[in-house]
Amino acid sequence: MRNGLQGYSFAFVFLLVAGIGLADEKLAERSTLKHQVTGLFSKDRIPDLQKTMQKLPDIELVKIDFDTSEAEFRYDAGKLFPNATPDQIVEQFDNLLRNASRHTFGIKPICKTPREKLMLVEIPVVGLDCKACCLAAYEAIYKLEGVERATASFKDGLVTAWIDSEKTDRTKLEAALKQRNVTLKDGSQ
Amino acid sequence: MIKPFSHRNCFRQICCYLIMMTLGSGAVLADPMPFFQQHCTVCHDAGTKSGGLDLTSLSSDLAIPETFSKWVKVHDRLASGEMPPKKQPRPPADDVKGLLDNLHQSLIVADRLRLEAAGRTGLRRLTRAEYENTVRDLFDMPGLALAGELPADGSAYGFDKNSEALDISHVNLTKYLEAADHALDYAIATRPDPPMVQKRRISLCNSGGFVAHVVLNGDGVLLVDKKIDPEFPPSGEQGHIDEGAHERMGTFERGSSVGLFRHEDESLSPYFIDHVTIYPGRYRVRTSLFAFQWDQGEVLPARGTEAARLSVVQLTGDGRGGQHPSYVLGYFDAPSLQSQEHELITWLNYNELIGFNTASLAPQANYYKKKRAMEFTGPGIACDWLDIEGPLHDVWPPISHRRLFGELPLVEFKAADNPNVRAPQRKNVRQLSGKNRPDPNLGLFTVRSEDPMKDADRLLAEFLPKAFRRPVPDTVKQDYLAQLAVRLQAGDCFETAMRWVYRAALCSPDFLYHIEQTGKLDHDALACRLSYFLWNSMPDERLMDLARTGELAHPDVIDTEVERLLNDPKSQRFIDDFLGQWLKLRQIAANDPDKKLYPEFNPYLQDSMVAETRAYFRELITRNLDASYLVRSDFAMLNEKLAVHYGIQGVSGSQIRRVALPEGCPRGGFITQAAVLKVTANGTTTSPVPRGAFVMDRLLGQPPEPPPSNVAAVEPDVRGTTTIREQLEKHRANQVCASCHAKFDPPGFALESFDVIGGFRTRYRSIGDGLPAERGGIDPAIGISFKLGPLVDPQGELPDDRRFQDILEFQRLLATDPDPLLRNLARQLIVYSTGRQVAFGDRDEIDSIIAKTLKNGGGIRTLIHEIVQSRLFQSN
Repeated sequence: MRNGLQGYSFAFVFLLVAGIGLADEKLAERSTLKHQVTGLFSKDRIPDLQKTMQKLPDIELVKIDFDTSEAEFRYDAGKLFPNATPDQIVEQFDNLLRNASRHTFGIKPICKTPREKLMLVEIPVVGLDCKACCLAAYEAIYKLEGVERATASFKDGLVTAWIDSEKTDRTKLEAALKQRNVTLKDGSQ
Repeated sequence: MIKPFSHRNCFRQICCYLIMMTLGSGAVLADPMPFFQQHCTVCHDAGTKSGGLDLTSLSSDLAIPETFSKWVKVHDRLASGEMPPKKQPRPPADDVKGLLDNLHQSLIVADRLRLEAAGRTGLRRLTRAEYENTVRDLFDMPGLALAGELPADGSAYGFDKNSEALDISHVNLTKYLEAADHALDYAIATRPDPPMVQKRRISLCNSGGFVAHVVLNGDGVLLVDKKIDPEFPPSGEQGHIDEGAHERMGTFERGSSVGLFRHEDESLSPYFIDHVTIYPGRYRVRTSLFAFQWDQGEVLPARGTEAARLSVVQLTGDGRGGQHPSYVLGYFDAPSLQSQEHELITWLNYNELIGFNTASLAPQANYYKKKRAMEFTGPGIACDWLDIEGPLHDVWPPISHRRLFGELPLVEFKAADNPNVRAPQRKNVRQLSGKNRPDPNLGLFTVRSEDPMKDADRLLAEFLPKAFRRPVPDTVKQDYLAQLAVRLQAGDCFETAMRWVYRAALCSPDFLYHIEQTGKLDHDALACRLSYFLWNSMPDERLMDLARTGELAHPDVIDTEVERLLNDPKSQRFIDDFLGQWLKLRQIAANDPDKKLYPEFNPYLQDSMVAETRAYFRELITRNLDASYLVRSDFAMLNEKLAVHYGIQGVSGSQIRRVALPEGCPRGGFITQAAVLKVTANGTTTSPVPRGAFVMDRLLGQPPEPPPSNVAAVEPDVRGTTTIREQLEKHRANQVCASCHAKFDPPGFALESFDVIGGFRTRYRSIGDGLPAERGGIDPAIGISFKLGPLVDPQGELPDDRRFQDILEFQRLLATDPDPLLRNLARQLIVYSTGRQVAFGDRDEIDSIIAKTLKNGGGIRTLIHEIVQSRLFQSN
C-alpha cells in the first residue's frame, strides 16, 4: 500500500515537472515586443484598444504607455507570422490590428528619433466632443512624413504632434487639418 | 403547334358581324317626321342644323351605328325634357309619350338584335393588372412585379377592361414572353433546401443609406433613451467631420435611435440599404418609431403623433434608388416620446429594399444653416431600428414550384449521369449592395423525373385547368406534351423542357384571354367573370370547384360567393382598380400642385387622399349604404393629415378611420373628397368645366358632348384679377357653348369652394395681388407666400331651375334624387365587370337591377349582388 502511494507521488511529481517544463518551453516561444500604436489619439482610446485586442487571442496586450503611444505585446511571432522578417512582422501585425479595429488602430515601429529631438506642436482646434471626429482630425496628420506621434481632442480643443522639424512643420499640419474640415481655433477652416 | 384558338374566335366574330348586319337591317324606325316637323325642325333642319343635327335627313336605318347613336340622343333629350328648349312651346304630353314609346321600342329591338348576334363582350385579353394578379395567385407569389413591364392598356368607356381598349401587338407578345420567363425564374426552386432565413437589425443611419451623412450635418440627431446620445453631440456651428471615420468607429452601430428632422427631397432618399433582397419572397419587417420635439439641443415631447412612411424601393443599376418609392408599404404612427413597434409581412422582389420617410414633417434642411441643429426648433421622427427577416417559407419547395413540378424530387444534376442532356441554366446569385449574403452554392439542383412524359402528363393535367381557368380538353394537353417531347429529344433536361411548355402556356390565348362564349356564360366563364370583377384576378380553388360541379348556377350559391369574395382581402384589388378608373384615381399624381400656391401639399397628403376614397368606397360596400352617400355623408374616412387639411378636429395618427362629421361639413361624399378634387384640377387652378364634366359623366352618368373644335378653351387667370366664373360668363355668351355649359357648369361652380388639392376656400389663392393669407392648418414650418384673391362664388342653377347657394345646398339637391347616382354606379360597375359599354338595349335590364336594389334597401352591396345575378352579368 505504502509502495503504491509512493509510486503515485513519484508519478505526480514527474508529470508536474514535465508539465512545467512544457509550459516554459511554450512561454519561451512567446516574446514580449514593443510597438508604437497608431489610433491612440486620446486616453479614452485605451479601453478601446484593450477591447480590440480581445479579438486577437494570440496576442496579449501587456502594457500601454499613452505618453509615448507605445505598447508591449506578447505573442509567438514564429507561429503568427511564419518566416516573416522583423519589418514584415510589424506590417502583418498592423494588418491584423487594422482589420480587428475597422482601421482605427494600427502598429508601426518604435520611433527611432530621440524624443528630445522631436518638436511638440500644439494646434488649438474647435469641434464637437466626439470620438469619431477626433479620429478624423488625428488621421489628418498622423501619417504625414515627420509626424512621429499625435493626439486629438475636441474636448480639450487641441491637436498635438511630435514632429521631426526637418521633415515637416506647423503649416503643413494646419493645412492637412483644414483639408479634413477641422476648424482651427483662429476660425480658419 | 398549340391549338389555334384565335382563328376560332376570328371566325366567330365574322359570323357575328354578318348576322348582325342581316338582322339589324330589319330594325327600321317608324316615321317620326310629323312630330319633328311640328316641334323640332325649326332648329334642326338642313339649313339651321343646330347642334350639328339635321332631323330632316336623319336615316331611319338603326343598323347603322352612327344613326343608332343619334336616335338614342334624340330619345334621351326628349325623355329628359331638355328638348324642345324651355323657351319653346311644349308639345302635348301624349305626343311626346307616343314618340318616345315608338323610339324606345325600335331602339330596343335594333340593339337586342345586334347584341344577340355579336354578343355583349368582345374577345378581350387580360389587362396588365389582371395579368399580374393572375400570375401572382397562380403561383402564390403575392408581390411579384410584372405589370410595370407590360405595355400600357388603352381605355374605352372609362375602363381598361373593354375589348376595344385591349389591343395586342408584337410588343405585347414580346413582353408576355419576358414576363413568363421572369415568373418562372421566381417560381422554380433551384436548391434542395430553402434559402437561409437571415434576420438583420438595421439603423436608419446604415452605411450608404444617406441618412448618416445628413445627421452628421444637423438634419438629425442620435438619441439614447429619448435623450441626446452623449457620444454624439448634435451638430451646431461645428458639424461632425468625416462620415467614414464615424462608420469605422461604430458610431451608428451602438443601438442609438436616429432622430430625423429632414423630409425626403431631391438630394435625400433614406433607405435601409443593409438589406437588399437577393432571394425574392415574403419578409417580416418590424420597426420601432417615436416622435419628439427638438428645441435647439433639447429633446421635448412632440406636438402629437407623427407619421413615417415605409416603402419598397427598387435600386437602379448604379445602386441608387429613384426619388419615388416603387410602392408604399404604409404610413406608421410615431407617438410622442413613446416607441411604438409596427410589424408587417411583405413580399420583396430581387434588388428591393425598404425606404423611409419622415412623412408628416414639413420640408426642412439644417444642413446649410450656420448653427445647424442647434438653431433648429421643430418636430422630429426617430427610428429606433428596423428588423428585416426572411425569406420566410412555410414549405419547401414553395407552392410556386409545386404548381409546376408537384412532388418530384430535387436532386443534383450531374453531367456524367445525364449523357447528351443539357443542364438547366442558372443565374449567378451574388451579393448586392446590402450586407445580406447569398447562401453557399450547393451545386446544380433540378427536378428529377424517372418517366418524363408520364409525369408531364400528370403535371399538365393539374396546371393547365388552373392557369386557363376552366377544364382543358385532352387534345390541348396533348399539344403541349408533343412540344415537351420535341424539347426532350433536342437534349433539354426535364426542367428546361417543362419550362418551355409552361412558358408557352403562359403566353397562349387560353391564358391571356377571357374566354366567354356568346349567350349565357357557362359556369367556368361565370366563375371567371365573378372573380375578375371582385378580385381582379383568377378564381380560386373553391370558385372553380363550384363551377365544375355546376353549383354556381344557383342564385343562392352566387350570393354566398359574392359575399365571400367581397369579404376577402383580395377584394381590395377591385376597389383600387375600379376607383382608379371610375374616379380617375390613377391620375392622382398627374400633376404636382404649384409650390407657391399650395406649399402644404406633399406625398403624404396625396397618399392619404387616395386612401380616403378607397376606404370610403369600402365602407359604403361593407355597410351597404345607399347611393346618396356618393355625394353626401355624415361621416368621412380620415387620418390626421386629411382631418387637418379639412379643418376637422380630434383625429390623431396616420391610420384611416371612420370619423363622424360635424353639422354643416360638406366632406364625406366622393365629390368633396380631396382625391377627386385633385384629379379634376390642373395643379395650379381649378375650372368649373372639367369638374362639372366629371360630376356629370362619372357620378350622374350624363357625359357632356366634346367641345366644338373652333371654340377656344377658357384659361384660368392665376394673377387673381378675374375669376373663372367671370370668364365663363363671357364664354357662355356664345350660343354654341351655352347649352352644354348650362349642364356642367353648375356642379363645377359648386365645387369652386375647393382648391386644387381639395382644401376648402372662400377666396382664390393668388401669386399676384391680394389680401394677406392666414395660415389656417398649414404646418408652421412651411413658409407661405400666396395671397388671397377674389371671393369664390359657389352658387348656381341646375338645368331644371333648382338653385343652390353653396356646396351644401348642391349636395342636398343631388342627394334628394339618388336614382341617377345609383343608376350611373350600376352602369359603371356593369361596364367594369363585363368589359363592354352599356347599350340602349340593356336599359330595361338596368331598370330591373335598380328596382330590385331599391326594393332591398338601395345599398351598394345589394347593387353588386343584383348586378352579378343579372342577365347582363351572366350572359354575353
